[in-house]
Amino acid sequence: MPKRVLVVDDAIFMRNMIKDIFASGGFEVVGEASNGVEAVEKHKQLRPDLTTMDIVMPFKSGIDATREIIKQDEHAVVIMCSALGQESLVMEAIEAGASDFIVKPFRAEDVLAVVKKVLGEN
Amino acid sequence: MSTDTSKYLGLFVSEATEHLEALTADLVQLEKDPSRQAVESTFRHAHSIKGMAASMGFEATAALAHRLEDLIQLVQGDGSQLTRELGDLLLSAADALLADVRCAEKGEPIATHHELEAKLSAQWSLLSSASGRPNLGQATPSRLPRVGPARRFAVRVQIAPSCQQPGARAFVALKRFSKLGDILELKPAMQDLRSGSIPDGVLSFELESPADEQAIRGALSSVAEVELSSVVPLKKPLQGQQRPAPISPPAANGSDNSRTVRIKTELLDYFLDTVGELSLATAQIREIGKTLPAPVQPSLEEGVGRLHGLVKDLHDKVMSARMTPLSTVTDRLPRAVRDLARRRDRSVELAVSGAEVELDRTILDNLSEPILHILRNCVDHGIESPDERRAANKSEMGRVAISVRRERDRVSLEIEDDGRGMDAPKLKLAAVAKGLLSADAAERLSEKEALMLCCLPGVSTAKDVSEISGRGVGMDAVKRALEELGGTLEIHSQTGLGTRFTLQLPLTVSMVNLMLVAVGREIVGLPVAKVLSALELPASEILKNGEAGFLPHSKGLLPVHQLSQLLGFPSGDTPTTRPYLVMEGDQGRVALAVDRLLGQEEAVLKTLTRPLDLVPGLAGVTILGTGRPVFILDVPRLIAT
Repeated sequence: MPKRVLVVDDAIFMRNMIKDIFASGGFEVVGEASNGVEAVEKHKQLRPDLTTMDIVMPFKSGIDATREIIKQDEHAVVIMCSALGQESLVMEAIEAGASDFIVKPFRAEDVLAVVKKVLGEN
Repeated sequence: MSTDTSKYLGLFVSEATEHLEALTADLVQLEKDPSRQAVESTFRHAHSIKGMAASMGFEATAALAHRLEDLIQLVQGDGSQLTRELGDLLLSAADALLADVRCAEKGEPIATHHELEAKLSAQWSLLSSASGRPNLGQATPSRLPRVGPARRFAVRVQIAPSCQQPGARAFVALKRFSKLGDILELKPAMQDLRSGSIPDGVLSFELESPADEQAIRGALSSVAEVELSSVVPLKKPLQGQQRPAPISPPAANGSDNSRTVRIKTELLDYFLDTVGELSLATAQIREIGKTLPAPVQPSLEEGVGRLHGLVKDLHDKVMSARMTPLSTVTDRLPRAVRDLARRRDRSVELAVSGAEVELDRTILDNLSEPILHILRNCVDHGIESPDERRAANKSEMGRVAISVRRERDRVSLEIEDDGRGMDAPKLKLAAVAKGLLSADAAERLSEKEALMLCCLPGVSTAKDVSEISGRGVGMDAVKRALEELGGTLEIHSQTGLGTRFTLQLPLTVSMVNLMLVAVGREIVGLPVAKVLSALELPASEILKNGEAGFLPHSKGLLPVHQLSQLLGFPSGDTPTTRPYLVMEGDQGRVALAVDRLLGQEEAVLKTLTRPLDLVPGLAGVTILGTGRPVFILDVPRLIAT
C-alpha cells in the first residue's frame, strides 16, 4: 500500500509541485492544507504516514503546527520545507519535533531520498 | 532528473502576482503602522515569492526576493527604521519582482537585479549594524530520559558536502542520537551549528547512552545526507546532564475555514455563456410549443416551466460565482495614492470602506482604470498643497475617501476629497472657449450640469498639465467607460470643501433591459437605461433647418437622427406620426426617429466577437425567444461615426 502524505503549504503552486513529486515516487497524497491551523486539523483527521510542512504560513506557522501535531501524535513524521535563509527556523522546527527537512527549490530525487530515508524504505 | 516547471507557469504567475500585490499593499500599510503583524504578513509574501521563483528556476527573482525578505526581517525588530526612503526602496523591489513575473508570463528572459540587490544589501548592512541581527531559535535539543547504566561513545558524523543546510542537517542527526542518550563535548559548539558553520562537514561528540553500539550505529539509518564515520566506546562513564524542561506547546489560534477553489475566469465566462444559451433554447422550445396542437400544450408547458426554473436557478448560481469583492480593485489604491501624493508633494490619506461589496468580475475588470483616474484628479487637482491647506485652515493631510454601498440591484461608489473643489464657472468658460458650447447654452446650465462639462473631451480646469493627470484624455474616457458598463457618473462639488464623484454601477452586466424598435424590416435593441423618454409626434412638429430636423423638448431643440439612415437600412414607408426616442448622445441629448416601438424585453447580452466587435455603434447581440438575433446599439457611438 502506498504511503499516505499530507502536503501543507500556503501556495497552491508549491503544493502542486510537491504533489507531483510524491506521485512520481509512488506515494499517495491524501490531503492538503494551506495554513498551520488547517494542517493540525487535517493531520488529526487523516493520520498520514508523512506530512510536508511549509514554515512561513498565515494563521499559524509550520513550526507551531508541527509542535501541535507532535503533541497530538508523537510518532507523526513531519518533514519541513525549508528555503535559503531559513536554516535556523528549520532547527527550531526540528526541536519542535520535525523529523527532517527538504530545501527549496525542490529536486524530485532529493525530496524522495529524504522521505524514503525517514520512512525507512531504503 | 530536473522537474519540468513549464506546466506550473500559469499558477506561478497568478499566485506570485497575488503575493506581490498583497506585498505592495502591506508595505504601504507598514509605512503608516509598522506593527508586528503587518511586518509578518509582508515577510510572508516576500518569502513565498522567493520559494516559488526558486522552484521555477527564476534565480534573479529569487535572489531579489531574498534580499527583500532579509530587509523586511530587520524592520521586524524596529518599525521606526522604516523611513520613506526605505519604503521607496522596498516598493521598487516589489515592482521589479512584479516585472519579473510579467517577463516570466511572456516567456521573456529575466535580467538580474544587481543594482537593486546592492542597494538592498547596503540598507541591510546599515540597519543590521545599528540593531544587531535578529536572534532566531532559542531552544536546545530535547532528550529522552536515560534508563539503565550508561556508557560513553565517541561519535563522528560526516555531513554530505552537497547538503544545502548543514546546520539543520546536523540538528536532525543530533536529534536521532539524543533519543538514545545525552550528547556531550559537541564540536562545533551549538552556537556555531546554529549559524550553520561546520568545518569540513564533520560533527563530533560524546554520547552517554545505555544503548548498545549497534543501536547507536543504526541511529542515522533514517537520515539522508549524513554518514556515520565512527562510533568508539569510551572507558569511563560520566554524569549525565540535567534534562531540559519540555518545550510547552502554544495555544491554538482561530482559523479561517472557508473552502474555496481557484477557477479560470474563462471557464466562468463559458458557464455564463452556456447558461445564456440554455435560457434562449428554453424560450425557443416555449415558442414552438405554442404552435403544437392544444392537447399536448399543457404537459409541454409544464416541462418547459420546470426547465425555465432550473435554468434561472443555475444562472443565479453562475452569476454569484462570478461576483468578486471590490477589494480586488481597491487593495491596490493605497499604493497608487501614496505615489501620486509623493510626486506632487502632497500628504494624502486614503480611506476605503465597503470594499467587501461584490460585483460581477466583468465590471470590476473595467472599473480600476476609471477609479484610478478619478483618484489622480483628486490628488492632482483637488487636494491643495500643504501650504495652501494651512492657509485655508485645513489639516495638512488631505483626505480621499472611497465608500461603497450596495443599493438593491446597484452599487454606489463614492470618491470624495476634501480639496479645493471644482470651479463650475471656469468649466463653462473652458467649454465655450473650446467651441463645445455656446455662451448662451453655458449660461443656462445648472451647477451640476456645468460640473459634468469636465467629461467633455478637452475640457479641463487644471492650470498646469502635470505628469499625472490633466492631459486632456481623462474624465471623458471615465464617463464613457462607466456608461459602457451600464453605470452613471455624477459630480458634486463645493468650492473650498471638496468634490464628490458618485459612480452608480449595476451588479452585473450580462442581463440588459432592451427597448426593441423596428426600422424597416429590421429589429434592433436599445438599452432601456439609455432611453430618457419616448414620444410620438406628427412630422409637422419637427422643425426643419435644411436637411436637419429638430425636436422641440423641455430642454430645448434636440437634433433628430433617423435610425434607418444611421444604420444604412431602407426605412419602411414613413408614417406622418412616428415614435422618437430621446437619448443621451456624446454632445448632449438627441432624438432618434424609429419606425415602430415593439416593447421592452429583458435579454441576455452576448458580447460580439471578431470581426463584428469592430463595427462601431454595436454594443452586443441578443437572441429573442423567436430565435431572431437582434443587435444592441450604442447610440452615442453610432451618431459619432
